[in-house]
Amino acid sequence: MGTRFAFDFEKCTECRRCMADCAVVKTGVVRMADSRIDIVRGWPELPEMRVCRFDDCDGHPCIAACPVEAISENGGVVAIDRDACTGCELCVAACPHNAIRMNGGTAMKCDFCGGDPACVKACVTAAIAKAGG
Amino acid sequence: MASSMFDTLVRIDCTARKAAAVPVDARLKGYLGGMGYGTRILCDEVDPRIDPLSEKNKIILTVGPLTGTTAPMFPQACIVTKSPLSGTILNCYAGGFLGAEIKFCGIDGVVLEGAAPHWSLVLVEDGRVTFHDAMPVMGKSTTETEAYMKKKFGSDARTLSIGRAGEKAVAMASIFSETRTFGRGGAGAVLGSKRIKGMAFKGTKAVDVADRKAFQDLVSRNVDIIKAACADSHNLVGLFSRVGTGAGMGLVNSKGGMATRNHEYGVFPEGNEIDGWAYAKKFYTRAISCYGCPVHCGMLHKYRKRDTTESWLRGPEYETMFSLGSEVMNKDPVVLAEANQLCEDYGMDTLTVGVTIAWALEMGEKGILKDPGLKLAFGDSDAILGLIAKIGDREGIGDLLADGPKKSAEKTGKGSLASAMQVKNSGFAAWMPRRMKGVALAFATSNRGACHKRAPIGDEIMGKLDMDSYEGKAPIVKEIQDTVNAIFTFVACRFHEFVTPKDMYPAFLAAATGQKLTLPELVAVGERIWNLERMFNVRAGFGRKDDNLPDRCFEPIKGEASQGAVITHEAFDRMLDEYYAVRGWTSEGVPTPATLKRLGIEEKR
Repeated sequence: MGTRFAFDFEKCTECRRCMADCAVVKTGVVRMADSRIDIVRGWPELPEMRVCRFDDCDGHPCIAACPVEAISENGGVVAIDRDACTGCELCVAACPHNAIRMNGGTAMKCDFCGGDPACVKACVTAAIAKAGG
Repeated sequence: MASSMFDTLVRIDCTARKAAAVPVDARLKGYLGGMGYGTRILCDEVDPRIDPLSEKNKIILTVGPLTGTTAPMFPQACIVTKSPLSGTILNCYAGGFLGAEIKFCGIDGVVLEGAAPHWSLVLVEDGRVTFHDAMPVMGKSTTETEAYMKKKFGSDARTLSIGRAGEKAVAMASIFSETRTFGRGGAGAVLGSKRIKGMAFKGTKAVDVADRKAFQDLVSRNVDIIKAACADSHNLVGLFSRVGTGAGMGLVNSKGGMATRNHEYGVFPEGNEIDGWAYAKKFYTRAISCYGCPVHCGMLHKYRKRDTTESWLRGPEYETMFSLGSEVMNKDPVVLAEANQLCEDYGMDTLTVGVTIAWALEMGEKGILKDPGLKLAFGDSDAILGLIAKIGDREGIGDLLADGPKKSAEKTGKGSLASAMQVKNSGFAAWMPRRMKGVALAFATSNRGACHKRAPIGDEIMGKLDMDSYEGKAPIVKEIQDTVNAIFTFVACRFHEFVTPKDMYPAFLAAATGQKLTLPELVAVGERIWNLERMFNVRAGFGRKDDNLPDRCFEPIKGEASQGAVITHEAFDRMLDEYYAVRGWTSEGVPTPATLKRLGIEEKR
């Protein structure tokens, strides 16, 4: 179990329901820039799924990269304190999964929705799922 | 109150290379969006008698109340313009991600007017419009043009483009958007006449709805319905979900309704070599969705071309399996894939291209048409691929064919018009009017010519309606035309209505925008649009004489499974009379003043 996604890239149809639902859950409205997950097309090859790997990320380089200690890990969930974030973008550059995006001047990333991720519920093909779930 | 519509359109004056945002007024608002907005604006502002390739024509590109929301199966954008192929009013649609991105720009659509002084690319960023030089992509394919725009404007831009066919005013030129297509009626030539090679949209605006809770409940219910349909291997949408729109070719073949060899036959024996199941078996296949769609009917295939180089395409769709498959007697899935790609490169409608080529091949076999470099015969791969390129370049015989099947036949003479499978110069879709009498009426009376989007295809092919009977088809066709027009104000995918209870449409509208309509009121909007279109066409010179089918439809279909199905002139005329009567039109097919009044359409001088 733990905090981790399971991906099946062959099953991702690139529909972006995960992104739309993520934005709605976090902000109430559909705005792709507010999504904490990003699906990047690579036709004819498989898409990238840009979202935090949590337990599957080796060493969480974003935490070390942050000069103001705005990023922390708690019970597997890596989260950004956006009030503390200065917008330096060093975490964006450090993330090996391109999972951190700038949004309104501060860094933004997935917080695993308290253990019940909206993207997982939105995905009709189970291309993204909770590992072991 | 929040709304999913921004009540703003952007008018782009191509001549002056300027743009201005304009509010949507209350009268236009009654047309809800999408096709409704496009039709109302074109009818108000464009003289039906103009040359469609003159700068007086307009392109109205719109989205609807559910575009860019989480409602499933509303990815498409709608274009309304005057068609250079048919000369009628045209509405056409492309899926993918363009529609949502237009909405994310904080607008409900754009109106393209005039013609640019030189070839341009247009960038729309959150409603701000800039013109850019198109010279680096002139002569380039749609794929290359869109790749260039993404490089120039940002990889997250959503794009549309024309290929060489659109540059050269080929009447069957389409507008492409990331492999999805505003296919029918030659909208690509209209965009070309405005010297717009491509457009890109980049939006950062949020899409809200009037009642978030009610909307979310509807979305959940609708997604569950669609997921159940996808899980059902007997449901048509479920089959599309598995191998794409080409899933049903075997069924159509078994009913003797698979248009084959320029519509002479109703069975293509090699159908199982080129249908959706065949592609899934023979080639690497991956399902691709449009924005927010749980069905994922778009199939990406990797394959080796005839010259063994590696390639890929998203498709072919069912209609192309007909037009560049059975209709031209091509049983080779590789040739079909290459033919599809070639149409995509040139930016052309695979349907009218294939139907026009089928006619040319038949004329070649009869000794009526010749080409110095190609053997015009059914099933000849070089001829099929060669003719596509010649049409796209307007080269040699392609210059004749590029104007559409009817015009080609009229110029050729020698009785060739009898087997040009078209209505109003628009090539037939994959269906056989002789085998399905509702389709016959729908093809004949469509406002855009030989259109399958508003025909009782599902009910006839699945046996819910007696396909060979004329009885009661007139009111059924009217109902489906009005209903589909109504849901095209939402710019719904055509397949959405296959599985979604119709009462969900007014419920969605109310939750998204706060507009409260009953289902009959919503369908009445569709009827109003249908009559507006008809009045446009009447003023452009169309009437009963044009609501007809080619002579071939009045001869029995060959091949056993089709049971010699035929249409008689007498029965067809009776069905047409009945249709005009239920529409409230004269026997010449003109809406009466009383009908226009009933629908709230004011008479234009």
